Amino acid sequence: MAGVSTKEIKNRIRSMESTRQITKAMQMVAASKLRRAQAQVTSSRPYFEILYAAIHEIAESNSDLSSPYLVDRGGKKEAHIVISGDRGLAGGYNSNVLKLAVSKMAGQESSVLPIGKKTVDYFKSKEVTMLSATYADAEEMSLGDCFTVAKDLCKRYLAGEFDRVYVTYTRFVSVLSQNPESLQLLPLVRRDDIPADTRKSDIMYEPSCEEVFETIIPEYLGGVLYGALCESRASEQAARQSAMDSATQNADDMIADLSLKFNRARQAAITQEITEIVAGQ
Amino acid sequence: MTGFPLKIVTPDGLEFDGIAESLTVRTVTGDMGIMAKHVDCVVPLGMGEATVVIDGQRRRAACIGGMVSVINGSVNLVPTTFEWADEIDVARAEASEKRAQAILASKSATDTEVKLAKARLKRALVRKNVRR
Repeated sequence: MAGVSTKEIKNRIRSMESTRQITKAMQMVAASKLRRAQAQVTSSRPYFEILYAAIHEIAESNSDLSSPYLVDRGGKKEAHIVISGDRGLAGGYNSNVLKLAVSKMAGQESSVLPIGKKTVDYFKSKEVTMLSATYADAEEMSLGDCFTVAKDLCKRYLAGEFDRVYVTYTRFVSVLSQNPESLQLLPLVRRDDIPADTRKSDIMYEPSCEEVFETIIPEYLGGVLYGALCESRASEQAARQSAMDSATQNADDMIADLSLKFNRARQAAITQEITEIVAGQ
Repeated sequence: MTGFPLKIVTPDGLEFDGIAESLTVRTVTGDMGIMAKHVDCVVPLGMGEATVVIDGQRRRAACIGGMVSVINGSVNLVPTTFEWADEIDVARAEASEKRAQAILASKSATDTEVKLAKARLKRALVRKNVRR
């Protein structure tokens, strides 16, 4: 014990305490941001779900395959929208979503539309083709931005620049659990379990089926993108909150451990001094 | 009067979920009225006024973008923005109108800027109109 000076231990305790203060503050900030993000998720979810259900119902019942949005061209060119956070210190949040995106992109000619600073930096270092690096700020992205992105993607999709469009984001299941997920946006996927002849096609399209799809799909894409963004933001805050919570706990443990060591070292020093005095040296 | 289940959802949340007696919306091809037992249909929305009759009570709203779908008798109105007449922020609409007009008046504006300004002007006018 006497090997470690009490001063050294004291310094370590002090630095540990300041680290603990930082993690504690970050946890509290994340917790308050999480509340706001969670409210946003719950209010945007019905829109997301109804839009998704409506579009898929239409896609199922449309059997004449007249819209390019419904046909799988089977090419290898893919566009991936990857949503991550802007900052680190959020546990595995950023790396999980990036890992999933990379595994999805393997073996395809992929280009990426990164959203969030972490994805932008990551794909820049990997030298993957990026459609645009303007959305480096996931927290500031608005609904309007989502619609702009969606319109642009649809235009490029129709022009044949890519054959499939995916979005990779983190689904907010609960405060304790967030799952990275990848969703195919274009072309619209049909469920194969419904035979073609039972698909009803008596839905009326005004003015025409093509025009309906042409105007609705960009809206749909924008809506889904916004939904994914809300989910990701809430997931980021939840992940950060729990990561910082365990960091604070670790700091507490280490401080307790070091305090014990410090007291022992002090005790040892005193005992030694007394022994020296008693021995009359 | 017979009603039909109507859901109005925007990215900001669920605006209405319940039984309505009639719905009138501005679609890309003009106004369209929906009552109970309407044929299944899907129509993209334009920019304009929406009128919903609930329990004999008429409510007006500014309804912009998105789509309306009738499937098996239930109606989903999925606009980009939807504001009930009493919730419209007139000051904001007027400010937006002024900004748009300034862009339209200036000669240096690019094509996209003009397009955006025109859309903004239209939205502002719809909101002001519904509020009146």
